[in-house]
Amino acid sequence: MMRVFALCLMVLPGVTLAQTPVQRAVDVHILPGFQALAQQTGALKAASAVGCTDLEAPYHQTFDAWMGVSHLRFGPTEVEDRAFAMAFWPDTKGFTPKSLSALIADQDPVVRDPALFAEVSVAARGLFALEFLLYDDRFASGDTYRCGLIRAIAADMDRIADDILADWTLSYGSELTTPGGDSRYRTGDEAAQELFKALSTGLQFTSDTRLGRPLGTFDKPRPNRAEARRSARSLRNVLLSLASLRDLAALLSEGHPGTAAELDAAFDRSIALAERLEDPDFAGVTTPQGRFRVEALKNSIDEIRAITATRLGPQLGVAAGFNSLDGD
Amino acid sequence: MTTRRGFLAGLVAAGALPTSGWADAGAPDYLAAALFPDGSYRLAGLRASGDMVFDLPLPGRGHAAAAHPSRPEAVAFARRPGRFALVIDCRTGQPIATLDAPEGRHFYGHGVFSRDGRMLFTTENDYDAGQGMIGLWDATRGYARIGEMFSGGVGPHDMVLMPDGETLAVANGGIETHPETGRAQLNLPFMAPNLTYMELDGGIEEQVTPPPGLHRNSIRHLALRGDGLLGFTMQWQGDVTTHPPLLGLHRRGSDPVFLAAPEVQQARLQGYAGSVAFSDDGSRIGFTAPRGGVLHLFDVASHAFATAHEIADVCGLGAGPSGFFFTAGTGLTGRLGRGRPAGVAQAGCQWDNHLVPVA
Repeated sequence: MMRVFALCLMVLPGVTLAQTPVQRAVDVHILPGFQALAQQTGALKAASAVGCTDLEAPYHQTFDAWMGVSHLRFGPTEVEDRAFAMAFWPDTKGFTPKSLSALIADQDPVVRDPALFAEVSVAARGLFALEFLLYDDRFASGDTYRCGLIRAIAADMDRIADDILADWTLSYGSELTTPGGDSRYRTGDEAAQELFKALSTGLQFTSDTRLGRPLGTFDKPRPNRAEARRSARSLRNVLLSLASLRDLAALLSEGHPGTAAELDAAFDRSIALAERLEDPDFAGVTTPQGRFRVEALKNSIDEIRAITATRLGPQLGVAAGFNSLDGD
Repeated sequence: MTTRRGFLAGLVAAGALPTSGWADAGAPDYLAAALFPDGSYRLAGLRASGDMVFDLPLPGRGHAAAAHPSRPEAVAFARRPGRFALVIDCRTGQPIATLDAPEGRHFYGHGVFSRDGRMLFTTENDYDAGQGMIGLWDATRGYARIGEMFSGGVGPHDMVLMPDGETLAVANGGIETHPETGRAQLNLPFMAPNLTYMELDGGIEEQVTPPPGLHRNSIRHLALRGDGLLGFTMQWQGDVTTHPPLLGLHRRGSDPVFLAAPEVQQARLQGYAGSVAFSDDGSRIGFTAPRGGVLHLFDVASHAFATAHEIADVCGLGAGPSGFFFTAGTGLTGRLGRGRPAGVAQAGCQWDNHLVPVA
């Protein structure tokens, strides 16, 4: 982890106010986010090497750091399915418990070889596999194999976080900030649009999936489908994702004060609603009152999405064709 | 200049003869859904001349439609995850029947009639199980729901009836969605699209899957040539910095072939192909890419990339006089022969997604 971290420190002092929003996003949002992630996975790996009890704190810190970057789903996170290997969710078919059970039942020696473990299904790796091993009764009772599995997962996550950070630091950051030439972005607009897409997809995921899945329908609420409910951090993930998306939205709307103010106010409303919710794992969706409050939060995020699509998008030159936006 | 008669002769040769029934509805060559300036979604009948011969109201945004093989009846499907499909008498504009998706199912937006027009097949989602289904509806009894069968995969989208009239080809896109999470894609790491050929009673005869590196290429739309050659377009769900082929050809019993333009042009597609069609003489295959605002053409025999035409927000595509007929979200309809595309009409509406030939 240290090798990459040192490289990053050399990049950061270049921050100045004259930069484009994309440059600033790379310098103050993306690189620090992935740096923090690599730091936390490093700490988690070190803690797991000492022992397999008391890993809750480093687990939560790693998850917190992941929420700072989980919306940045392009480029380095998509190589070799790194993002899915860090956080495989939703898991509609229960692949994570199934894959973990299979590894444990076979006492699969794959946990002793990092290169082989990197080939294991993404469902048995990353934060959600770790959450099962730390918090679910079926997996939380200790034995030697479980501890080996936890260590393998922690080491794998640290490797992935380092690889993502290295790619961002060594090449992808400059591809995004210096379009044209060899960059996969032909123009600065294309680079800004990539970040815009990350913002709108991130908002959509938090609304539709993080909140939509546990909400289910009025007749059939689905509290058991809340993200990371076993470690009671479903609401925390929503809050942290909103904080991170707000950060990105502010950077992208820098040159458009009216839009920036609207977005800021809309994020304020959402975050205030989330902070008042006091329902860490969305178990409250089964009661009319609790459901109403989660729905209100979801609606408030959809308002941010509307401002993003109708105001920010056109300002960043994102085409709004009838079919090009359909996605079907 | 190909005449309308010549074009119809071509259709006859391809085994698709329009009957007098459709003449009563103004003899449209195609059906297409659109958003009209007054905010209404409508199903329109279009001629290859660009003339709109009817436009009939829909309860919401449409996607594709199915044209009855003999009677002037069209089934207009809601855009996924819609639960309605409307059977419309295209002479009067009156709905004849409404198809309501059964409990636990929604439509994907495509369907096809049996050759005799007695049965309608629809692609559907059994969303709690995360499985694709084909719904069966009895067109002789007011479109009563009479059963369903496994689609052979997840996320079935387009579907065609093979020339033998006894086999369905289904594009299983591979992407699991659930109406409670909107259009969120729930299974990308494990998605497994396929092309499934099945008997009309659901017996699976053949399945084709993309090679391992292309398993995130969602097979969505189909085009059929009279000799059974199937064209399919895909939507790439993998790394946006790679630009895999979005067009394939398949003949039963053989391996699929994947066709791509040179890298620079391929990159412009943004991993997204819309409609696909063979040209009227079957020698060329084209597909639309609304995100890239281009239409790509290939030579079927050699698999060679022919050319790319820029058309803003182009999406609907079908065989047309001397080549292709297309529609765009800008309201443009046009023809594409051997040269450059030529607009034939500019409608006030925004054409949606697909152009369904009236056969």
